[in-house]
Formats: sequence, structure tokens, C-alpha cells
Amino acid sequence: MADNLIEVAGLHVNYKTKGDDVLAVRGLDLTVGAGQSTGIVGESGSGKSTVAKAIVGLVAPTQGSIRIDGDLVAGQQATGYVRANRWKVQMIFQDPYGSLDPRQQPLDAVLEAVHQWSRKPKAESRKEALDLLKSVGITERQATSGLRSLSGGQRQRISIARALAPHPQVLVADEPTSSLDQSAQAAILNLLRRIQAERGLSVVFISHDLGLVRYLTETVLVMKDGFVVEEGLTDKVLHQPGHEYTQRLISSALA
Amino acid sequence: MAEPQAAQTVDAEVPDDEIVVDPTVPYLEVDHLKIGLMREGAELRIVDSATFALQPGASLGIVGESGSGKTMLCRSFTGTLGRYGVDVMGGRLEIAGHDLTHAEEKAWRPIRGRAVGYVPQSSLAGLNPVLTVETQLLEALHLGSRKLTKSDARAEARRLLDMVKIPRADSVLHERSHQLSGGMRQRVMIAAALALSPPLLVLDEPTTALDVTVQYEILVLIRQLREQLGMGLILVSHDLAVVEFLCSRVMTMYAGATVELAASESIRTRPRHPYTNALLHSRLGMAERGKDLVAIPGESPAVGSWPLGCRFWPRCAYAADACKVGDQPETRMVDRHLTACIRAEDVT
Repeated sequence: MADNLIEVAGLHVNYKTKGDDVLAVRGLDLTVGAGQSTGIVGESGSGKSTVAKAIVGLVAPTQGSIRIDGDLVAGQQATGYVRANRWKVQMIFQDPYGSLDPRQQPLDAVLEAVHQWSRKPKAESRKEALDLLKSVGITERQATSGLRSLSGGQRQRISIARALAPHPQVLVADEPTSSLDQSAQAAILNLLRRIQAERGLSVVFISHDLGLVRYLTETVLVMKDGFVVEEGLTDKVLHQPGHEYTQRLISSALA
Repeated sequence: MAEPQAAQTVDAEVPDDEIVVDPTVPYLEVDHLKIGLMREGAELRIVDSATFALQPGASLGIVGESGSGKTMLCRSFTGTLGRYGVDVMGGRLEIAGHDLTHAEEKAWRPIRGRAVGYVPQSSLAGLNPVLTVETQLLEALHLGSRKLTKSDARAEARRLLDMVKIPRADSVLHERSHQLSGGMRQRVMIAAALALSPPLLVLDEPTTALDVTVQYEILVLIRQLREQLGMGLILVSHDLAVVEFLCSRVMTMYAGATVELAASESIRTRPRHPYTNALLHSRLGMAERGKDLVAIPGESPAVGSWPLGCRFWPRCAYAADACKVGDQPETRMVDRHLTACIRAEDVT
């Protein structure tokens, strides 16, 4: 394993539109070591979700490079997200209602992912999928019932189980609790912390919520309009913000 | 077939008098309100036992999670339950001295917009995308029976935008919702709700989809508007911090019922219902890094599958045998809190 599981250097991402190109990310460097928790905070349009998508290979960088566990997956002369390293980084999305197929049984959603990565016989894959679901608090009965009967929190647990299927080294969680009720949020964050500790995972938390970043991360990047305006140890950035924008974010947060 | 004619008569009957605010009695009162629908011959309740009274000009925050009935309760204040296929099934609802418990559409007309201004949930999508801001404000102004000339109405629309502190109001009047940011759209929605100068503004999750800095600006705006207009406020949110920022009293709802009602400060420091207590403790702000958050075990019961006894007992750390039988407990006073917990004295 390389020292840094994620190494992003000089990342720029532009989106083509009919009019002017949107410069979503305008120069970002990020390293995440094994077992580390890193936060990226910012508001709508800051580019934080684009960074997440670039790391997992859902958007291509316009400039810059991304290394996962030492392998160059994006950038010039990149080998791309080949099978050999794609499994290492998995993502959890914001909306557990949109990110799961409503026609698919929860068990099948996870089974599909398990099978994709392990190519084990069906019975073994099924057992592994059920074990994964059990480890996130989903019973076999819930896993084989319709998705419609499950709450947002339960759906997010299923997304987490699915993301864990290839035994990744890094989880990228994009606002994993912002569409959940507060009591469900607490349970999901506890679960993510437990999984991180048990599996020695690195986690990148993308969030607009300073409270969440303060609670979960050791280092943080603050983004605005595609730029990183401030970064450092989370405690330091949140207690002694150097940039005017970080100060404004902190003073706008209630409680 | 007589429908169109009936509608005309109704229009003629809309009284032109202003809403009367009697400072000595509650402006809005809800007593054991039940909201629901008939399904397969049985009543399916969404709200059952919402109870509170709001004095003129006072503020109340309503907190609760998805499915607690807080949004349906708000819709009952605007007489729009029918649009969602539900109806008031019992209890009592009074606004500005009118008993509206089982009011027909006709009775709601002089109330809606005039007695209660309402900004619905997900109002960021609430503006009509093909109409200009001005057209929509004019519509809101014409809901009232005040006779306004075209130019007066336009001046009034402009004044409303100034009231909600929209920059470059003159050009915004002629823009459509896609040209406006989320914060601006919410300001326009609030302006429309204020069109007929209602003595009470009801806001359902007004800042949920907004960025923190924009949320703060909107909350400050609402606070200023209240000071300026002396308006009452009902604010629905799942976020206790938002509610505390604007409201002097807070009501917690769980599975369709009022479970606690008290002063905001007191709710935060010394809740007298285990559910409010659990909500407070599950907040991120309460957590130390490296330690687990205090989660509420289990899930909120779905409408139609509320447990017997206190509806919170299966998730409650204080549940005793007596909590598991009978009906949802009646609210009672404990330490100046209205609470629906029979063990309220033990909650710490």
C-alpha cells in the first residue's frame, strides 16, 4: 500500500455547457493517508461534489492527476480506472431514495456488487451479501422485502453495504446524511465511524455541515467557487479560521 | 350543473372586512385536532391530538421528524387539506375567532392569505416557472377582495419585494424563477405570503434546501419582518436550532401527536419528554469527536401502524409497562412544560 491512498494534484474540472464553460474545480491538491478522515466543506456550487466524483472516476479531470494507492488513475498518461484499482475507492451518495433502484430487492443490489467483485459461486455471494447487510443493521427479512417499505436511514445502510462489497480502502461520502432525519443521521454516522475503525478505511466526507466535519474529520478543506480557500487540521480551521469565507460559514451556522 | 353559478354567489359573499385580532384571546387554537382519511372503511389518522394555542403576535416552532404530521397540521391552517385527499376528522381548529374545524371552501376564502400567510415546504419549487415574479405577486394580491387599480397593485408588488429586501427589485419583478437563486426565490415566496398583511405567518421548513449562509440571511429577514410588522409566526422545522433562533416556544410532535410544548430555552435545557430529550442528545453539536452519537433506536412508526399506548414507547429509554397500554397519553403540565409522558418527572 502506498503512503497516501489518495493523491490529487492540481485538479481542474470544467463542465462544457452551451454558453461559457463552468470551471467547477480550479486547482485542488489533496492527500489522504490510510485510515484518515478528511472533510471537504463548502456551499452549493463550491465544487466539492465534483471533487468527489473525480476521485471515484465519475468525471474526468480537465487538468491535473489523481493517484489511488500509487496508481495514476486520472491525468496525463493515466492508465485509467482499471479493474485493478477501481474497487479501492467506493462512494456513498446523498440521496438514498435516488441511488437505489426501486425495482430491485435490497439484497440483489448488494449481491450484484459482491458478485461483480468476487466472482464467487452464487450461494457464497449471497451469504457474503447478507453478512454485509447484517453488519450495517439490515436483517434478511428487510433485505428481501421491497425497498418501498424501508426508511431513508435503512436505505442509506444498504448503500453503505453495497459500497463495502469490494472491500475498499477509501470511502467517499457525499452528504451521506443530509436527506435524513436527525435521529437517523446519528445512527448512520455512528455506523460509518464503526466501519471506518473496523476496516481501517480512509474516508472523505463531503458536507456543507460544519458540525459533521468537526465531529468526524481530522483535516478539512474549505472550498468556494472551485477554489480551496483554506485547509488544515479541522480543529484549527474551525477554531481559528484564517479566511474570511470560513469565518462567514462558521458565524452563519446555528447552535 | 349549478356549479358555476354557485361559485359566483360565493364570490359575492366574501366579506370585505379586515381580519380582527383580539389581543385577549388566542389568535390560533388547535385542540386535539385529528387529520386523516377513510381507507377501506376505517379511519387512517395522520395527525391525532395536536394541541396548542398561539396568542396574537406570538411565535411557535414545531419540530418533529418525517411523518410526524407537522406539515399536514400546517396545511390545516390554510384550509388546503382537501388538495391532499385528507380532512379534519375531529378536535377543534379556530383562527381569528372563526371556528374552522369543518369549514367549507366558502368559509376559508376570507381566511386564506388574509388571516394566515403560508410558505409551503419545498417552496423553492413553488413559483410558477412560466410566470414573472410580478404576475405571481399580483395574483397573491388579488386573492384578497381589496379593490386595487392595476398601477396600485404594481406599486404594491414592488413594495413587497422591498419588504423582503430583494436587491434590484425593479428587474426581479420581470424575471422568472429560473433566473433567481434559492435565497431570492424564498424571499419572493415570503413576499407573496405577506401580500394581504396576515397577522400570522406559517413557514414550513423555510431554509431546508438552502446553504448555511443563505439560511442565516433568511432567518434574520424573518426576524426583522416580525419586529417590523408585529406578526405571529409558526415555523416548522426538523432542526431545533432553526426553531430556537426565531421562536419563543417550541412544540414537539411525534407520530401525529403533540408530545411536548414549552419555552424554547426550557426545551433545550430541561426537556420533559423522552423524545425531545433524545432528539436533543442526537444532535451533532452535542458530540465529542471519537465518541458515538446518541442515536434513537428503531424507526418512527408509519402512519397506520402506531403502537398501542404512548406512540414513542418502543424507542423510549424510559418505557414502563404502563406506557404500553391504552391510548396516547393526554398532555399534562410538568415544570411549566406541557408533556405527554407519564414519566416526565424522571426524564434527565
